[in-house]
Amino acid sequence: MDGNGRWAQRRSLPRTAGHRAAETTVIDIIEAARAAGVEWLSLYAFSTENWNRPGTEVDYLMRLVRRVVRKHAPLLLARNIRCRFLGVADPRIPRELAWDFADLTTLTAGNRGMTLTVAFDHGGRRDIVEAAKSLIRSRTPADEVTERLFADHLPFPDTPDVDLVIRTSGEQRISNFMLWQVAYAEWVFPEVLWPDFRAPDFLACLHTYRRRDRRFGDVPPRTNGDPS
Amino acid sequence: MTTGTTGTADEAPLFGPESQFDAFFDDPRWALAVIRATVLEAAHPQIGAALVDNSTFVAHPWRRLRNTFFSMRRMFGTDPAVREREAARLNRLHARMSGSDSRGHAYDAMDPATRAWVVATLFESAVTMCRLSGQPLDQDTMERMYAEYRAFLAALDGDAGQLPEELHDFWRYFDRVVEDELENTEAARVILYRLFDHLPAPALLDGAPTLWAAGRAIAGPLLGAITIASLPEPYRRRAGLPEMPGAPTLMQGAYLAAGLARFLPKGWINAEGIIEVLSLSPGSDDPRARTVAALRARMKRASALLRLLAPLGGDPDPDPAPGPSAGTGEGRRSAAEFFRQVLDQTGDGHLDWPDLAAMARELSTRLDLDEPEETRLYDAFAAWWRELQATLDTDGDGRVSADEYATAVPSLAGPALIRVAEVLFDATDKDGSGTIDADEYRTLFRTAFHRDLTATDGAYGRSAFVGDFLSFMSGRRTSTPYDPLLADA
Repeated sequence: MDGNGRWAQRRSLPRTAGHRAAETTVIDIIEAARAAGVEWLSLYAFSTENWNRPGTEVDYLMRLVRRVVRKHAPLLLARNIRCRFLGVADPRIPRELAWDFADLTTLTAGNRGMTLTVAFDHGGRRDIVEAAKSLIRSRTPADEVTERLFADHLPFPDTPDVDLVIRTSGEQRISNFMLWQVAYAEWVFPEVLWPDFRAPDFLACLHTYRRRDRRFGDVPPRTNGDPS
Repeated sequence: MTTGTTGTADEAPLFGPESQFDAFFDDPRWALAVIRATVLEAAHPQIGAALVDNSTFVAHPWRRLRNTFFSMRRMFGTDPAVREREAARLNRLHARMSGSDSRGHAYDAMDPATRAWVVATLFESAVTMCRLSGQPLDQDTMERMYAEYRAFLAALDGDAGQLPEELHDFWRYFDRVVEDELENTEAARVILYRLFDHLPAPALLDGAPTLWAAGRAIAGPLLGAITIASLPEPYRRRAGLPEMPGAPTLMQGAYLAAGLARFLPKGWINAEGIIEVLSLSPGSDDPRARTVAALRARMKRASALLRLLAPLGGDPDPDPAPGPSAGTGEGRRSAAEFFRQVLDQTGDGHLDWPDLAAMARELSTRLDLDEPEETRLYDAFAAWWRELQATLDTDGDGRVSADEYATAVPSLAGPALIRVAEVLFDATDKDGSGTIDADEYRTLFRTAFHRDLTATDGAYGRSAFVGDFLSFMSGRRTSTPYDPLLADA
C-alpha cells in the first residue's frame, strides 16, 4: 500500500488525506480479490519501521485504522472473510485498537471464503526471530529442524507461500515483508499510487502473474517441437 | 436416625420427594428466598463472622452455590444413609471453622443455637416467599414444613431442641432473635452491596465478560433492593438499610412474577440442570459441553460485533475484556491473576489459612472423603500454610498479601506443597493401586482423561500427578484440569 503520501502531495493535500483516500482502495481490492477467487490476501498496512514517521502521522494512522476496522467489520463478516492481524506486538499500538483487532478476529474466525491477513506493525525478520525463539523454547534438537518445522513456528503457520506480491507506486523493494513466505513469490510493480489503485489494476496484476513462467528454480519445461 | 421427628405412619415422610421442601427445589421464588435467608443468617454476629472469615462465596459464588445445592439435595433425599453421611461431613466441615471476629468475639460454627438460626431463616424465608408471592401456605402445610425443617436440624445436630417444638412458639423465637441478636454485620453488607455488584461470571458465561458485566450492572442493584425490601422491618431499622420508594412494590412484583412459574409445564424449570449447565466449563467432556462451547463461541462473536458496532468515543465497555494478552504468554497467568483466582479463595485480598482450608474443603468435597483421609488432607494443607507463612509473610502480619506473594513466587514449591500433592494423590487413588484410573480421575476433575495422559498406559501415575499439581500451583499454568476445580467462580 505505497504512495499515499505522494498521492496527497501531488494534490497539495496533507499526507493524512492520502491515507484517508487509501480506505476506498482497500475495500475495492478486498472485493476484487474475493470476486477473482483469491483465497489468501495479505495487506501490508504498517511496518515495524513505520514507527519512525512523525508522531502526528502515526497517531492519525492509528485512529484511521480503528475507524476503518469498525466501519467495515459487518461487511467483512457478511462477505465470509476471515480477518487476522499479523504483528501487532508493539506496546505503542493503542489499547483500543488492539481490542478492535482482537474483536474482528474473533468475529470472523469462522469465515472460510477468503483469509485476509493485515500486516500491522509487521516485520519479516521479527517473525523469523520469533519462530527461532519458539523452536528453542520447545527444545527441538538442532538436527530435527527442517524448513517445514521452522515454518510451523512462524506466526500464522497456516499461511501458504506467497504467490504474488503487488507493490504499488513503482517502488521496487521488499521492505521486510513476510520474508519467509515470499521466497518464490512473483513480484509486480505497477506505477500507479495506492489511492488510485483499483480493481481493474488488480486484475491486470493477476493477469501478469498468470503469464509468468514460475519455475521454482527448475529449468523451463520442454515445449512442443523440442527434440526429445 | 432422626430423633425429634414427629411424623406418624399415615403422614407423608418428612424427607424425600413427597416433602414440602422438595417442592421448592425447582421453584424460582426459592432463588430470591435463599438470598434473603442468607442475609438473615449473615446478620447473626456469629454466622457473619464465620462467613467473612471462611466462606468462598465472594470469590467463588457459583461453586459454593453448587455445593450447597447438592448438599441440600442429599440432606433432604430419601436415603437415610446418604443423609447421615452428609450430616457427618457437614459437621466435620463446620467443626473446622472457629475463631474470632475483628472485634475479638469468638465464633464457632458448631454452636447449636447458631445452627438452629440457619435452619430458622430457611424455614421463615420459605414461608415468607409464599406470602409475598400471594400464594400463602395454609396452617397444616406450614406445620408440616416446620416439622421437616426441625427434622433437618435434628439430622445435623442430633436433636432439634434449639428450635421451639411448636410452630406457634417459633414465631416468637424468630422475632426475638431478629430484634435482639441480629446486627448490621460486615457479612450482611457484603451480600447486600458487594456480592451482586462484583459477581464473577459462572464458567458458562466466562467467555462473554461484556455481556455479563452489562447484565450484572442492571440485575445487581435490583436484587439488592428486592432483598432489602423483603427483610423484616425491625432488622432494616437496626441495620440502617435504605427504604426506597417503590422498593416494596418491586419486591412483591418480583416474587409474584417468580411465583407465576407454577403455570409453566412441569419440568420446565429444573434447578439441578441449571446449576450443572452454569458450572460447565469448555474443556469438559459432558455431551452438553459441545453445545455450550458452540453457544459460547457465538456469544463471543456477538459481543465482538456489539463492541465493534458501538459508536466510537467513550469506552463502551465498562469491564473491558482483556485484549490479546500482550505481556503474558499463552497458557500462563500473571502472579496477580493466580493470587486472585486460585490462592485467595475467600476473596478478601489476603492469603491466610481459611483460603487454604477452603481449597482442602473443595477437594475433600469432590473426592467425598471420609475420616481419616480428610484430616490428612487438611493437615497437609496446614503444613503448606505454615511453609507459606514462613517464607512469604515478610511483614509478619500473619497473612500473605498479593504483593508479598508476587515478590516471592519462585519459592512457592517447597516440600510441604509436594506433600500436599502426594496426600491428594493418595486420596484420589481410592483403590490404592498406585495409579489413578479413569474413574478416579473423573471423581476429582469431573472430566475424562486428557489424551496426553492416556498416552502412557491408560493410568495416571504418582509422579505425573505430583508434577502437574506443582506446575499448576507454582508454574501458574492455565488450562489444566485444576482450573475448573479451584479457579472457576
